[in-house]
Amino acid sequence: MADAGARDFGRGDEEDDEVEDAGYVQAKDAVLFAIDVSSSMLEPRPAASAKHEPEAPASAALKVAYELMQQRIIASPTDMMGVLLFGTAKSHVGNGEEDDQSAMAYPHCYVLTSLDVPDAADVKRLKSLLEDEEEFQELMVPSPEPVAMSSVLFCANQIFTQRSPNLSSRRLFLITDNDRPHVNDSTQRSAAAVRAKDLYDLGVIIELFPITPLDHVFDRTAFYDDVVYRPASGDLDAPAALMPTVESVGSGDGISLLQSLLSAINSKSSPRRAAFSIPMEVGPGLVIGVKGYVMVKRQEHGKSCYIWVGGEKVQIAVGTTTQMAEDTARDVGKEEIRKAYKFGGEHVTFTEDEMKALKNYGDPVIRIIGFKPLKMLPVWATMRAPYFLYPNETDYVGSTRVFSALQQNLLKAEKFALAWFIPRRNAAPVLAAVIPGAEVLDETGHQKVPAGLWVIQLPAVDDIKRLPDEPSVHAPLSLVDAMKVPLSMLQLPGGAYDPRRYPNPALQWFYRVIQAIALEEDLPEAPDDKTIPRHKQIHKRAGHDVQTWGDELEREFKNISLELADTAPRGVKRSPEPQTSLPKRVKTEATSSSGDGDAEIRAATKNGGLKAYTVVQLKEWLRSKGLSTAGTKASLASRVEEYLGS
Amino acid sequence: MATPKEATVFVLDISPSMGSTHHGRSETDLTWAMSYVWERITAVVETERKTLEIGVLAVKADETQHMLGEMEGYEGIVEVHPVKQVLMEGLAHIRETIWPSSTQNGDIFSALVVAVSMITKHCGKRKYGEKVVTLITNGRGEMDDDDMASLAKKINKEGIRLNIIGVDFDDPDFGYKEESKPAQKAQNEASLRQLAQSVEKGSFRTLASAIANLANPIPKAKGAAVNFRGVLRLGNSDVYDDALMIEIERYLRTTAAPAPTASSVVVKGKGTQGGSLASSATVESAGVSAVTNARTYTIQDPDAPGGKRDVERDDLAKGYTYGRTAVPIEGSDENVVKLDTMPVYDLVGFIAAEKHPRYLNMTNSNLLIPQRGNDKAALALSSLIRALDELKLYAVARFVKRAGADPRMVLLAPFFEQGFEGLVDVELPFAEDVRSYTFPPLDRVVTVKGETLAQHRNLPDVMLMKAMGAYIDGMDLSEFGTGPDGRPGEYATVYETFSMKAHRLSHAIRTRVADPQAPLPPPLPVLTRFAHPPEELLAKNKGVLERVIQAANVKKVPPKAKLRGGRNRAPPEKPLSGLDVDALLRSGSAEPRRGISASNAIPEFKQLLERTEDLDGVRDVVRQFGEVAEGYVRDSTGDSGYARAIEALRVMREKVEEFEEPGIWNTWITGFNKKLAGGDLGGDRREMVYLLKVNRLGELEEGVETGEKEADGEEAEGEETEDEL
Repeated sequence: MADAGARDFGRGDEEDDEVEDAGYVQAKDAVLFAIDVSSSMLEPRPAASAKHEPEAPASAALKVAYELMQQRIIASPTDMMGVLLFGTAKSHVGNGEEDDQSAMAYPHCYVLTSLDVPDAADVKRLKSLLEDEEEFQELMVPSPEPVAMSSVLFCANQIFTQRSPNLSSRRLFLITDNDRPHVNDSTQRSAAAVRAKDLYDLGVIIELFPITPLDHVFDRTAFYDDVVYRPASGDLDAPAALMPTVESVGSGDGISLLQSLLSAINSKSSPRRAAFSIPMEVGPGLVIGVKGYVMVKRQEHGKSCYIWVGGEKVQIAVGTTTQMAEDTARDVGKEEIRKAYKFGGEHVTFTEDEMKALKNYGDPVIRIIGFKPLKMLPVWATMRAPYFLYPNETDYVGSTRVFSALQQNLLKAEKFALAWFIPRRNAAPVLAAVIPGAEVLDETGHQKVPAGLWVIQLPAVDDIKRLPDEPSVHAPLSLVDAMKVPLSMLQLPGGAYDPRRYPNPALQWFYRVIQAIALEEDLPEAPDDKTIPRHKQIHKRAGHDVQTWGDELEREFKNISLELADTAPRGVKRSPEPQTSLPKRVKTEATSSSGDGDAEIRAATKNGGLKAYTVVQLKEWLRSKGLSTAGTKASLASRVEEYLGS
Repeated sequence: MATPKEATVFVLDISPSMGSTHHGRSETDLTWAMSYVWERITAVVETERKTLEIGVLAVKADETQHMLGEMEGYEGIVEVHPVKQVLMEGLAHIRETIWPSSTQNGDIFSALVVAVSMITKHCGKRKYGEKVVTLITNGRGEMDDDDMASLAKKINKEGIRLNIIGVDFDDPDFGYKEESKPAQKAQNEASLRQLAQSVEKGSFRTLASAIANLANPIPKAKGAAVNFRGVLRLGNSDVYDDALMIEIERYLRTTAAPAPTASSVVVKGKGTQGGSLASSATVESAGVSAVTNARTYTIQDPDAPGGKRDVERDDLAKGYTYGRTAVPIEGSDENVVKLDTMPVYDLVGFIAAEKHPRYLNMTNSNLLIPQRGNDKAALALSSLIRALDELKLYAVARFVKRAGADPRMVLLAPFFEQGFEGLVDVELPFAEDVRSYTFPPLDRVVTVKGETLAQHRNLPDVMLMKAMGAYIDGMDLSEFGTGPDGRPGEYATVYETFSMKAHRLSHAIRTRVADPQAPLPPPLPVLTRFAHPPEELLAKNKGVLERVIQAANVKKVPPKAKLRGGRNRAPPEKPLSGLDVDALLRSGSAEPRRGISASNAIPEFKQLLERTEDLDGVRDVVRQFGEVAEGYVRDSTGDSGYARAIEALRVMREKVEEFEEPGIWNTWITGFNKKLAGGDLGGDRREMVYLLKVNRLGELEEGVETGEKEADGEEAEGEETEDEL
């Protein structure tokens, strides 16, 4: 899996041009779930509220693993995941059935799904274990004797070593409610500590998700502080120590064990990767270190690929591109290829050194050139998703306090910094607005948005399109007032947009269908689309007020039409006189243009007269119907005919 | 929407006097003038628009060759380029032809008559948006202005714009007056000025002024085209009678200006090395050929040689991947993965403008305006825009651009600019688009023990907070520039900044075309205008900045201190409890270790290295580890063991680098490469050699600072205290 070909699928192309020079480690993530299967882990904990079923920690952990596996297939299709059960009566590590060898080497360790990019079979395995009571009862049997933690950790070590070499991020998610294994056996504890150090030296991070034991509070110092390391990798938020114990009993906040485990693991689901690490010049002579992160990025579904279905097993065909000279169809090697710019119908070239010089805009930096009030930053002045900035002490000690002073002062003064911004070598500099962001916590006290600065690339004058012609009329006060009523009735919860309420319906639907096909299940019936407005509520809450506004609109429109008729024609097309009886539906459609256009074009289709229309006219008509405007005139015409024919 | 045609004729004075220098300039008048002409011509060529036509006429030339033929008074005029689209060939011809002549023969006014005739004949009755004649001369030598009146009349009749640009002409608007001007030149200037004034569209400038205007590149942005026509609605009009519907149109507001893009080419002809192209650095005429891509597909087949087999594109089905499972989708099924959608802006609800964090706006912006010519829609949309503005609300809508297109959530915000009103539309993220990275707060420090600290070296003290606040106030740019009314206004508005990406390359390409021999020009000064804080403002805030720097007390970490290993290495990392695992290993209370095992090689290598005392020890540990790595390759069936070997080598190289003993690595890797090449490690290992290269596992540079690391390799923090997160 980890061969040269796999690199093509790596995250390199996901992070647009950001990680071009990301270096040698494959920017992929491998997560191995290690779930403790002890009798207390199998004991259902009372539900936090009547809404929830009682749930055993072990099955909650499996559900979360199942959830995460499906999520990661969507969000990071090249990342690996596996599930290891420990403390089971059965032992199974190798590829074969329960074998004596693995029982010897790693007793009471059971690999449920092996560490790899998940496939349909892995998803199915977890699903059937959760759904099939019998299967669950058969496998989830705690071993009579305690499992040696050292062998669990070494088992994990071997899984990572063999199955995911050379990955940039490897993490062991440990879910247990046993805070003191080997309480009376110091040799076993030492052995575990040594195996934990091995994992650390291998570059595997242990993320502990402690579950409150039945009869006491989870005590990390009893065992796990010897096993878990502070991530030395400059990861400032030290997840192991920060991770709150997953409350199961008497938490009283109505959040179920499953939910709280899910949210804890979700917050760790994607390893943090910096897009750049550059100096920030607050002023001449005052330089600090910052790292930039991509926190907001459009998640697209995987591109289509070509699949070989001729053999016994379907497999993905790997495409390779060879380059040929256009004139002779001769294969050309990389070293022969030059870059050239088309100009005046021919090619203009530069030497390699000149190309380098042209692309060199100076060292990467974010240099503040001054400050402005936030209200001087128009909403439309945006080009792409912003970067999140956080201080980095590696190169400049004291960066954090300076950054903090900057962020806090900007928040207070409601200002932003204007900055000259070169995120990477050879990236063209842009002016950017550096705006402060306050920390946002969710209902449970988990961090939703961290405190920091955000870099918004500003458009240059070249990037700003000229305004279209301004509208002919403006609404009078009475109409504006009529509109205010429904608007104030229809505020979103909290008066803010919360992205988490709106999963991407197209993406979700895509993967539900693909998953159903992959698992050979029935196709889902209808998409669960949370982005569709609540039309019924809108009707109930604001329907009446919209009607009132509609009446006012008709009145104003009549006035304006009269006025316009009186004054000299202003060269604008006007809709015909409004009908005397109010249309029930509050519409503003200009019946003239679109209505007549339809009839005309319909007639033309019948007489085969579409040829008389220009491409521009056809495109305009197609666009008004929301149809594609691509292709030749003939294909446009046939699209029109198709639409009208249907 | 076709853009109107334009025809321009440049009339260039190439007399010997244009070939000499004046007023202490190092370049000749002609070279100086041509820098203007080239800029104008290449800017047009770059657009690749056929409708922008250019003609070039040289006057006071050694020959005579133009459309009016051999007429008396029309000698010394040469048509260098007819009125048509300029291509590279034309550019080359202009470049070769425009040189100072050896004659003063030839009359400027006659040349203008020829230029006007060229335009008139070329344009005929066709519609042109602009017809221009641009004259550039230094006004020395004889000039016959007898026909001025009839020439002006003709120019006006044809609606031609006449630009007269003179080398060292007096230009009160620009503030230039030539000292000790020859009488002849003064007289010529007067007649040309009179001509410019007597035509309706005439201008008269000194060359320096025209060139100064070029310092600002022409903005690349154009008018926006409609990218959506449809309905904005509140409520479902298919079900309810009380739904609100407004017919709207959508235009781009911001989009990245296009920069010249390079294409791949090869030198034409035989498969020789393309050295000539690399070194020539000239405008290649017919010497290159475009490169096309051909794609082939392979599948894994254990029976085939090399384990892979080519397959025909036609034998493949289209599909997607679910994890590592391939999911073929037959042609007719393809639509099942698509959401069924209809184009519309469906309002979801309204949010408080002030509460909306800007970092959620994740794309470029668009503008919504009412459908053209639909006054009712204009009224309706206007009431929505103004109501949103008065209530300080934004709208959130679900937007589908085409039938079957994926829905997007968009923010709709009121937009006003000089009588224009509309709604700005910017896309918002979905749940999947937001990554939940967590970071410690910046205004407090929480310790492992759960204590919250208000004072800590990572937190600013009162001094730093105050100084920073003063600096932010002092460096305020909101009134440092000049507003449209001439009063103090915003400095560095978006309308004053130019796209570096678009202009830098295009400037270089155009310079190269104008003079293939010239070195690369530096970036236009206007592009780097805002690269640094304004000096004047900085000078005012010198003291304030001084105080910030003092209070901040930032220390740059010397490159060496970044390394954790090395001779002065820190003790090995400990778990949260501080347990000394190393001691456990030494004391033998854990199972003893000897050497490096293949199964647990990397941890054992690192731990052994931590315990070595001298360089010989390091060499020995590296040797042992190297043997394990070689074993991975030797025992590898196909490439199965390569990734592990690469990982091991990466770790080895990093560790040796920390010890600042590049020689140890270099010796080892040289030996390893030899073994690979010699087939000593289980046969053909060329793939492994390739992997070494792409993984940058070459030799280390000796005696050079090697502290630089990649952005993603999150390095260890130098000095962290124990109790802090």
